[in-house]
Amino acid sequence: MSNDGPRTYFEIFSLPAKLVIDLPALEESFYALSRKLHPDRFAAKSLGEQAAALAESSRLNDAYRTLKGPIARTEYLLKLEGVELEEQSKSATEAARATGTAKKQIVPEDLLEEAFELNMQLEEMRMARKMGENDPQLRSDLLAAKAGFDARMAATQSELETLWADWDQALDASDAPAKAAARDAMVALLNRRSYLRNLVRDVNEALES
Amino acid sequence: MAYSDKVVDHYENPRNVGTLDKSCGSVGTGLVGAPECGDVMRLQIRVNPQTQVIEDAKFKTFGCGSAIASSSLATEWVKGRTVTEALTISNTDIVKELALPPVKIHCSVLAEDAIRAAIGDWKKKNGVAEEAHAEVAVAS
Repeated sequence: MSNDGPRTYFEIFSLPAKLVIDLPALEESFYALSRKLHPDRFAAKSLGEQAAALAESSRLNDAYRTLKGPIARTEYLLKLEGVELEEQSKSATEAARATGTAKKQIVPEDLLEEAFELNMQLEEMRMARKMGENDPQLRSDLLAAKAGFDARMAATQSELETLWADWDQALDASDAPAKAAARDAMVALLNRRSYLRNLVRDVNEALES
Repeated sequence: MAYSDKVVDHYENPRNVGTLDKSCGSVGTGLVGAPECGDVMRLQIRVNPQTQVIEDAKFKTFGCGSAIASSSLATEWVKGRTVTEALTISNTDIVKELALPPVKIHCSVLAEDAIRAAIGDWKKKNGVAEEAHAEVAVAS
């Protein structure tokens, strides 16, 4: 990539577009770059240079925040790879419409079934509460469900790390099919994770209220 | 952001909420979701085996007001249509009818997916080929 256009967040830190990142080194590099752009260093410079330094500093902050977070970093890399996470559902619908077949669901069927069932239970619990009832069985079912979803959320982190290693390796080997496979697996994992995250949030809300 | 009157109407008085017997041969069930918002939508249809007319439709949606309104409207629209006609309903029709803002378009996409999935399930159960204009073998 040329230096003429806006640099990617990875390029700002002179890093390859890999996902396994040395976080302490990233932090060090962030502080070093931040010092170079500190407003004090530009106090005597022209307004144009001051504004440019400020803009660069703000982009540096965005870059650091994005690369630091495991999910944000993965989503950013996927975006660089042309994956529009927000658009997948619509594209799959368009494909289904064009071919006249049922749409390929982005989330696995069993997870949808689970999400549906859990929502039914949550609704039941809210209704019971409204009627002034408190069903201890329902509550313990929900607590058990919560523990299960929490564990699966936690597991997505290590699954993601495995995929990062796959991606980095494919990148080093310039292995396009392996890169595509790692990319698709990461997309599927993030989709599953966003469902799990919503389920955990909904169960927590229901248990706390 | 304010919801349009039609969205509010469907949200406050959703049509056709409920369940049809999933195991029944004339019932097609579509369960779909959108990872963007975590919504889940189940839409079911009961199809007359002779005429292929959708005689009843029910839905149950967990999601925002627009998702509920979109699925409620979808059940209203599929009722009385043949499965082939129902397949022509597109998300843009729903967007127009409900005046959905751009950020809520995925809700209408979900409703279209649900119709398609329910019809797909019914076709599978009844051995109808999954093609755009398949000749339909009606089990008599």
